[in-house]
Amino acid sequence: MADKKSVGHAYNVDFLNVVFAASSLFLLLSVVWMVWDDYDRDWKNTQRRFADLEYQVTQASREQAARAVDKNKMAQLQGQRTAAEKNVTANQQKVDDLQKKMRDVDIRIFRQQQDANFAKATYDHDRYDFESVRAAGGSGVEQKGQKIADEEKALRELNLGLERVIAEKADLTKQLGQYTGEVTRIGKDIDELNTELTRLDKRLTVLAPSLVKDYFRNAPLLDFLAPTIKVKQIILPDVVDDVNFTKVPKLDRCGTCHLAIDKKGYEKYPQPFKTHPNLSTYLGSDSVHPMDKIGCTVCHEGMGQSVSFEGAAHAPGTETQQKEWEAKYHWEQPHLWDYPMLPTKMTEASCAKCHKREVYVPKADALDVAYATYERAGCYACHKTRGFENVRKPGPILTKIQSKLTPDWVKTWIRNPRAVKPATWMPRIWYNSNSSAPEDAKRNEVEIDAVVAYLFANSDTYQPDVKNPPHGDAKSGEKIVKSIGCQGCHIVGEGKRDEVGPRRTFGQPLENIGSKTTYEWVYNWVRNPKHYNPETYMPNLRLTDAQAADVATYLMSLKQGGGDAAKATPDQATVDAVLLDYYQAVMPFEESKTELAKLDVKARQLALGQKVIARYGCFSCHDIKGFDKTQPIGTELSEEGTKSVSRLDFAFVKEIPHTSKLKWFGAKLHDPRLFDRGRVLRPLDRLRMPNFELSDVENSRLVTAIMSFQREIQPAAAMPVKSARTDNISQGRTLVHRRNCVGCHIIEGDGGDFLKLVADPSLGPPMLTPEGARVQPDWLYAFLRGPITIRPWLEVRMPTFGLDDPNLNGVINYFGAVSNAVGSFQTHQVMTASNVADGGKPLFEAMQCQKCHVLGALPKDTPITQLAPDLRMAADRLQPDWILAWLKGPAAILPGTRMPAFWPDYPKSPYPQFGGNADAQIKAIRDYVLTFRGGPTPKGGGAKTAN
Amino acid sequence: MGFIKGIINTLADPRLFFLLAVLSLVLLVWKREKIVSNSVGYGLVGVLGAFFLFGTFDPNFRLIITKPDNVPIVGLIFLLVFFVWYGMREGVLNDRRIAAGQGPIEKAESDRVWVWPDLVYTELISLIVCSVILIVWSILLKAPLEQPANRALTPNPSKAPWYFLGLQEMLVYFDPWLAGVVLPSLIIVGLICIPYIDKNPKGNGYYTFKERKAEVTLFLFGFAILWVSLIVLGTFLRGPNWNFFGPFEFWDIHKLEALTNVNLSDYIWVRALRTGLPTNWFIREIFGIVLVLAYVFVVPVALGKSWFKKYYEKLGAPRYYVGAFLFIMMMALPIKMLLRWLINLKYIVAIPEFFFNI
Repeated sequence: MADKKSVGHAYNVDFLNVVFAASSLFLLLSVVWMVWDDYDRDWKNTQRRFADLEYQVTQASREQAARAVDKNKMAQLQGQRTAAEKNVTANQQKVDDLQKKMRDVDIRIFRQQQDANFAKATYDHDRYDFESVRAAGGSGVEQKGQKIADEEKALRELNLGLERVIAEKADLTKQLGQYTGEVTRIGKDIDELNTELTRLDKRLTVLAPSLVKDYFRNAPLLDFLAPTIKVKQIILPDVVDDVNFTKVPKLDRCGTCHLAIDKKGYEKYPQPFKTHPNLSTYLGSDSVHPMDKIGCTVCHEGMGQSVSFEGAAHAPGTETQQKEWEAKYHWEQPHLWDYPMLPTKMTEASCAKCHKREVYVPKADALDVAYATYERAGCYACHKTRGFENVRKPGPILTKIQSKLTPDWVKTWIRNPRAVKPATWMPRIWYNSNSSAPEDAKRNEVEIDAVVAYLFANSDTYQPDVKNPPHGDAKSGEKIVKSIGCQGCHIVGEGKRDEVGPRRTFGQPLENIGSKTTYEWVYNWVRNPKHYNPETYMPNLRLTDAQAADVATYLMSLKQGGGDAAKATPDQATVDAVLLDYYQAVMPFEESKTELAKLDVKARQLALGQKVIARYGCFSCHDIKGFDKTQPIGTELSEEGTKSVSRLDFAFVKEIPHTSKLKWFGAKLHDPRLFDRGRVLRPLDRLRMPNFELSDVENSRLVTAIMSFQREIQPAAAMPVKSARTDNISQGRTLVHRRNCVGCHIIEGDGGDFLKLVADPSLGPPMLTPEGARVQPDWLYAFLRGPITIRPWLEVRMPTFGLDDPNLNGVINYFGAVSNAVGSFQTHQVMTASNVADGGKPLFEAMQCQKCHVLGALPKDTPITQLAPDLRMAADRLQPDWILAWLKGPAAILPGTRMPAFWPDYPKSPYPQFGGNADAQIKAIRDYVLTFRGGPTPKGGGAKTAN
Repeated sequence: MGFIKGIINTLADPRLFFLLAVLSLVLLVWKREKIVSNSVGYGLVGVLGAFFLFGTFDPNFRLIITKPDNVPIVGLIFLLVFFVWYGMREGVLNDRRIAAGQGPIEKAESDRVWVWPDLVYTELISLIVCSVILIVWSILLKAPLEQPANRALTPNPSKAPWYFLGLQEMLVYFDPWLAGVVLPSLIIVGLICIPYIDKNPKGNGYYTFKERKAEVTLFLFGFAILWVSLIVLGTFLRGPNWNFFGPFEFWDIHKLEALTNVNLSDYIWVRALRTGLPTNWFIREIFGIVLVLAYVFVVPVALGKSWFKKYYEKLGAPRYYVGAFLFIMMMALPIKMLLRWLINLKYIVAIPEFFFNI
């Protein structure tokens, strides 16, 4: 410090110079760094890589286009052009002269045009001036009026002059055309031949790497002018983002990196340069979901505005992909955006945003199976869900339990249903992860006992139609069960629940049924299900008494034991303690004790049973007496997909990220009591959702269903257009899925599980997509009321569903709407032998229609897979117009049908009749077929006897 | 390791944390001769650095100190410790000089002022260095944006900007009208008043501790303890639901704290007098009202006649009363904190009828 004074400075100035120089250098460097940091973005590199790729791909397609040009035609055209050019050269003098004149005319046109434009502008200005002055009553109106009159006159003359010069030019063009017209025409033809090539050449010029583009237009600090690398965004006024305080039009910038998403030709490249699958349905400009209307994030979710991998909230589809992303992008569970992307396997959950309350959305296979699983598991019964409000209770009625089951069986059953029937949807209510401790066993057993006691004490009696029915033959019973169609809805021990899928578990699995109930009950049930439960969806298969006996005998032979034994012995003290616990939850302690003391031993058990049923919500799925009006116990799930992740309680469960809704739902479904782990809870405070023991596939399906339950924020403009037809379709889809028609039939490309079980598709239930166009509505109505046998050689049969009129009409309207067929009533000309043109019969015979088609008796020597319906039904059953379409091209209506295409080259005909006119031939055969009478009909008798 | 973290977590409890902060202030003043040595200074920075280094190996601690919002507070801790120590060091060194009859070092060269190039040049360099720091900071730490605001889902914990976290901490002990309106206004007014109240010329333009013992200590108490340490506490130790979390503790949203606080009226009427609460609010709260009035009006007078007699005489009545009022308002915070911690006192005066609580 002492030398400070001597130099006259507080600091060493030389040193300060060094510090100043160094810090200035750092400032410069940090500014450069700042600019670079701002400039250097991943998406820019992505676009650079794509520019290379696009250049290569375009080059390849250019080469392909060059090869595709017709060389011969090109040579020919070029030859013609050379010849034509010679003709021009021969008259070069005249051509030159005309072209010179043409140039003069062009110059005059340009001048005239300009003069006229200026005059017009002046006139417009002065006219307004005149009008406004006149309206305001100002001075000088007359002069102004005069002025614009003059101007208008001058303008008219100028325009006239212009027209004259243009006419002059036309004349010149015509004259010139005499010499050069041929060359121009051939030139055009050549251009046409080269259209694709020229287009690609132009594109290549744009795409070609260039110094200006790479080092000037895209340079840091200069790239605000006209960069080629830029954010590509679409603004979508019809779909919105909900940012809590307002809704804003979606703004998707996904195309910044996914550059080929709507371009054909990039299908084989990896993301982000892959073409979107199925462009005719998604993104294509002529698809129903065009990119500039629907965008990306309304389906995929994620943050559309972000152009960084992390910020867009990408979601990995698999664990492997997650690992890969973590390494490559430092990916972590997105938590800064409330709607992270859905894994691709769940994207279809978003379909429900616009296709609201539809059980079946075409082409959305993942969503459809998710909804079917949701219904089969009966989730909606406890969890109120929009779109599933009026669905029947998923479990069987328990109001007549006494006549069907024994208390011991029910106890074993509810203790662990899947130990008895591995494929059942009945979940396990006791002995779950929060109630399996040894000290819980006694309470569990007491509750189980009490529930069973309550159910049997509140059971009606039931008088079977046939008492002590005779036994039949198990072998033939098995044959019936496995062929008549039971397996469309029931499985008989084959396959796991998730493998056979929701449609084949529509009805109870038949495994182990022999140890469940009595022979008498099964016999009466298969003979007429509606006798036991008039509301049941189980249809009547119209079995004879002998067949019913065979079936019942076979079913009763399906015994395999199984089931968990009681893990503790219930005693009265525990019953009292548990009942007291339930009482204390709703009333003061002393009052509870008094209440308990009032009851005798039996009443205590029943009171406990009632409390336990109320707690676990058994009544949500089953009809139980005394619970007709009780509200379901679960959380409403109508908007669960949009629930904020912070509303989910992860408690002490650490193995899943606390930022992921999907993981929470997955964990909850995997073990519904998981989030009680590590917590100190009194029994009544514990979680009570039962365990469905879902497989990973089922779990993922249900998560998809849950994610589809969204808050409805998208505006009406985004919704599909509604009409009576679309209403009929959506109601019909619901109907045929809720009644499981699709268990046996393929309708609109979905279902038909039973077909997999028959040897040949022609021996299974028919495909019903074209049914509305095919059959007459009144026939269909009668058929559904009382089905008749259409193909007697089939073992599978259409059951009697006993639908009511609204449902019957629903089905008919649905099929009509799918085929876009006219309504129920149509004029049909009645064909008889007398009013039909001759010629049909010889054709009919020439084509050997009768070889396959039945006319009364089954044709001999024809394998049954080749047989086709009795044509005597045609007049009564089929739509005449449909027969025409069917004959023209059967494969277009029913792909894979055995019906041959007799006019493979329609409208050409291989047959000489009717002057070789295919239409006339087809009509003649149709008319001939319609003259047949006497086939079986559901109308009349069938309808009357229908149940 | 877990054991050490456990100890640190325990020490970070607001009560202990506050107590320790006060104790360190006492220690700083009491043992200043020893503390101002360079080895202690390096030691302090070393211990602090070692603590943060040790802490970064813990995921919870790392998460909280590396949050872009919180990085300035980490810097603030180092800077505060350093400057308090440095101020005290300069003061003690001058005190030694004064005791030796040399006068403070700043006065030694009072015949000249180095403006050019010394001051201007260093200011320019500082400007450049600050720019570099800010630019690099802005590149390395991104703006801490969160998900879109949602009125149905406010962030938990909802924290004020870091410089207001001291005020937010006061909300634990006072109602918003006091913690958010009256006390902050008094802080500003009080700071404006200081030059008019304090007319003692000693310490002007030079560091000293001995000549301004009470003032320096009081200022350090108000600034370092009641303001900065509460900011640190609010930043690092308050988690979801404004619950306290140790620096190595996971911010579990489900954590519960036993909070059963009782009003003064409950203490008197229910516990001491064993009657019920009077229905009339004035009678019910009369003890609290009297207490508060006494605190505001009687205590300054009493102090002026006893412990602060010297000040009363030196400053004169107006200056003394303004200063004493500001002082007792400042002390209201630690007093209320102590009452809360010791006897779970919620309000001294609780008149929910008018939303008026003290």
